Amino acid sequence: MLYVLRRAGQAVLVLLLAFTVAYLLLAALPGDGVLARYGSAELGLTPEQLAEISAAYGNDRPLVVRFLDAGVGFLTGDFGYSIQSGAAVADLVAVALPSTLLLAGLGLGVAIFLAVSIAFTATYGKGRWLRRAFRNLPPFFVSLPVFWIGIILIQVFSFQLGLVPLINADPVEALILPVLTLAIPIAAPLAQVLMRSIDEVREQPFVTVVRARGASTSWLLWRNVARNALLPTLTMAGLLFGELVGGAVVTEAVFGRPGLGQLTAQAVANRDTPVLLAVVVITTVTFVIINLLVDLLYPVLDARLRRPSTARAAAPRATGSKPTSSAPKKGALR
Amino acid sequence: MSRITRAGLATVSTAAAIALLAGCAGPSASNGGDAGEPAEGGTLTYLEPQTWNTLFPGSAGFYPNGGIVNNITDRLLYQDPETLELEPWIATALPEVNDDATEYTFTLRDDVTYSDGTPLDAENVAKNFDLLGLGDAERKFAVSEQVTNYASSEVVDENTVTFRFSAPAPGFAQATSAINAGLVSNDTLDRSSEEFGPGNATEIIGSGPFVISGEEIGTELNLEVREDYDWAPPSLEHQGRAYLDGIDYIVAAEDSVRVGTVTSGQAQIARTIEAPDEGQFASDGLHLLAAPTNGVNNGLSFRFRDPATSELEVRQALIAGIDRQAIIDTLFSENYELATGALAATALGYVDTSEYYEYDQDRAVELLDAAGWVAGSDGIREKDGVRLSLTFNEALPQPRSREVITLVQEQLKEIGVEVELLPGDQATQDAARPVPGELQVYHSMVGRADFDVIKSQFYSKNRNALLNGYPDASVGDQELDDLLLAIASSPTTEGRAEASAAAQQRLAEQAYILPFFEEPQVFGYVDAVQGFHTESIGRPSFYSTWLAQ
Repeated sequence: MLYVLRRAGQAVLVLLLAFTVAYLLLAALPGDGVLARYGSAELGLTPEQLAEISAAYGNDRPLVVRFLDAGVGFLTGDFGYSIQSGAAVADLVAVALPSTLLLAGLGLGVAIFLAVSIAFTATYGKGRWLRRAFRNLPPFFVSLPVFWIGIILIQVFSFQLGLVPLINADPVEALILPVLTLAIPIAAPLAQVLMRSIDEVREQPFVTVVRARGASTSWLLWRNVARNALLPTLTMAGLLFGELVGGAVVTEAVFGRPGLGQLTAQAVANRDTPVLLAVVVITTVTFVIINLLVDLLYPVLDARLRRPSTARAAAPRATGSKPTSSAPKKGALR
Repeated sequence: MSRITRAGLATVSTAAAIALLAGCAGPSASNGGDAGEPAEGGTLTYLEPQTWNTLFPGSAGFYPNGGIVNNITDRLLYQDPETLELEPWIATALPEVNDDATEYTFTLRDDVTYSDGTPLDAENVAKNFDLLGLGDAERKFAVSEQVTNYASSEVVDENTVTFRFSAPAPGFAQATSAINAGLVSNDTLDRSSEEFGPGNATEIIGSGPFVISGEEIGTELNLEVREDYDWAPPSLEHQGRAYLDGIDYIVAAEDSVRVGTVTSGQAQIARTIEAPDEGQFASDGLHLLAAPTNGVNNGLSFRFRDPATSELEVRQALIAGIDRQAIIDTLFSENYELATGALAATALGYVDTSEYYEYDQDRAVELLDAAGWVAGSDGIREKDGVRLSLTFNEALPQPRSREVITLVQEQLKEIGVEVELLPGDQATQDAARPVPGELQVYHSMVGRADFDVIKSQFYSKNRNALLNGYPDASVGDQELDDLLLAIASSPTTEGRAEASAAAQQRLAEQAYILPFFEEPQVFGYVDAVQGFHTESIGRPSFYSTWLAQ
């Protein structure tokens, strides 16, 4: 209970900090939302007219007052209106958020699948050449720019082969290429971490013991190594999902999908404070929730972390285990 | 493990195949449609590079907004895109204008209705123009740039309306034909500025040949034909309902995706085909339309009140030192005509001033030497403690502005002038634009098919590209300002043309500007699209468009 309260308190603090920093950074950029919308040469407004409009938006009040106004607005659930287009921020987010979550979720899923395949083939594949090739895949994937992958996939699968339509595609078809585009670069760090993790676990004595007892490589992999190697990968996956929620802006631009990344990029370009603050709040909350989930999943995967006493005993991991705690052996032999 | 090996092999071979196929490029559309008779039916898919941000007609200057407003609203007068003449549309004839152009009276057709059934009558027209001419600061509507000196409107009877102005407004007739004066219903006019934005598209009611039927914020807009439309401009060949059943406006921001979607036949037409991509439309079944914008040319404005550019010799040297033809040859295509004056050759009031814009690098060096600008140790010239270092803005709405400025930078370095580009997004550029001393040279363009366009660009109280007018209300070159004002206040066409010619002559003689090219709006489309036109500033008009099957 205390644990949950503590985490909640930390979450609120993080949210407040993110909100404030985002607001200040946007205010520090040259120009403001009203200028961005009404100050373009096309509209040809005089400075007096601009000042009038600025006053109508309440932009002539001091910075602190405006900041507090925005903050109170958020607390009461009033997200305000975009300065650039006048659309209700809640509307914009309602369109962007589900699309982003879907893309991020599927992207991560496919990335995990790819990462697991690569990592397992790199460590247990038959043939040294195969293992070596797969070991080099993560650095290769991470060096491919996301927009390049997206454009190549579109050119090949949509324009040349005509397999996937871009316009008027049904929801499933419309997801195939963007998901692949997202999955490839993020599969790389996942695979890398997993590979290192597997390498470490394989060195453990319990693995030798299990093999000596006649376990096949498959048994070894799925029932012993995988579980223990997953922890760092899980943390990484959580972080990557959080990044995807806010940052898939390039993929969204290439495929013309609405999303939080696009919304953020446009909000900064247009100095659109209400939209930016809404996006910051949403992504911060997402990150916090994901972190909490990952932390709660740890004990599920690793028995040593389940009870505080054994967790502390497991920390100084050494081959010489204390005779009183039998938990390590239990976890290893599952 | 064979399962994993097979999976691994599959992954590797797919990756290799993709890499190989990536080398193949080239469009696969081979649409062999022939002309034939116009046929009704079909939905056109139209790709835009940016999403629209408001459907308020007064802000339809932004191309994505204008592309929609042009097809869902009608205007009082119709401007022929080729001759630039004004013709009747919702008004039954050209307006009656008094001697000093301060009073305009329009007689309207009586059979026009909005798509929600309400009639388009004099009261509605008066309400439309009251908002455009006077604005409404509370609802955040700015006064329209094109409607100047508006005083009031008067509803004489159900089909007659009179507009009055506090000073001569000879450009008003053309202003009523522009997209910025699209007529919308009374209910629509009661909306606030926010309520014209994304999320409200289906509630914006116009009387045009198409009606908005659906919207997905930020990605798509669907238009449906209006079956009972019967008030097209009388001078058009096609009358009655539009041929197309509907139009889908889809946002495709990435250039290669937009171009490829059309060349592979998944969409029929796209706007903004950049010069490097034009070659892809050279194959069979694909076409390009480079629509002229009939206004002030894409070019540089030298801010002559700044110390570095205040001398006439310096400006003349800058002009002589920039090779415009090389810029066009390197960065653009034959659709971008070399400018021969401040205005496009097809614009109203155009005069040829090309002799002032000749490239001659030796002459540039001579001019600077004679004026006493001596090269310092880093090769950049100096005089009286002022370094010849100029900051240019980046004109984000203009094509390839950054590349153009970079090329100019190389060329001017050879004569000892340093060029810097102001980095930053649109908001940063807009913030720097009106501040004296931030920019010495301003890259821009403006499209409007009226004599007033040159005033819009250079007058100290309008766009003020030369920064002739400072924030403290002082004016550097009063003569230029007076000449520009004369364009907007001469009541006759001849008077306006003369004033425009005089203004262009002054701009050329004083070396205030260097025009690069006549900026087109380039559309790429497939064979099946027939009868596609643009209006006078290059925005798409789909009324007479039909799809050949």
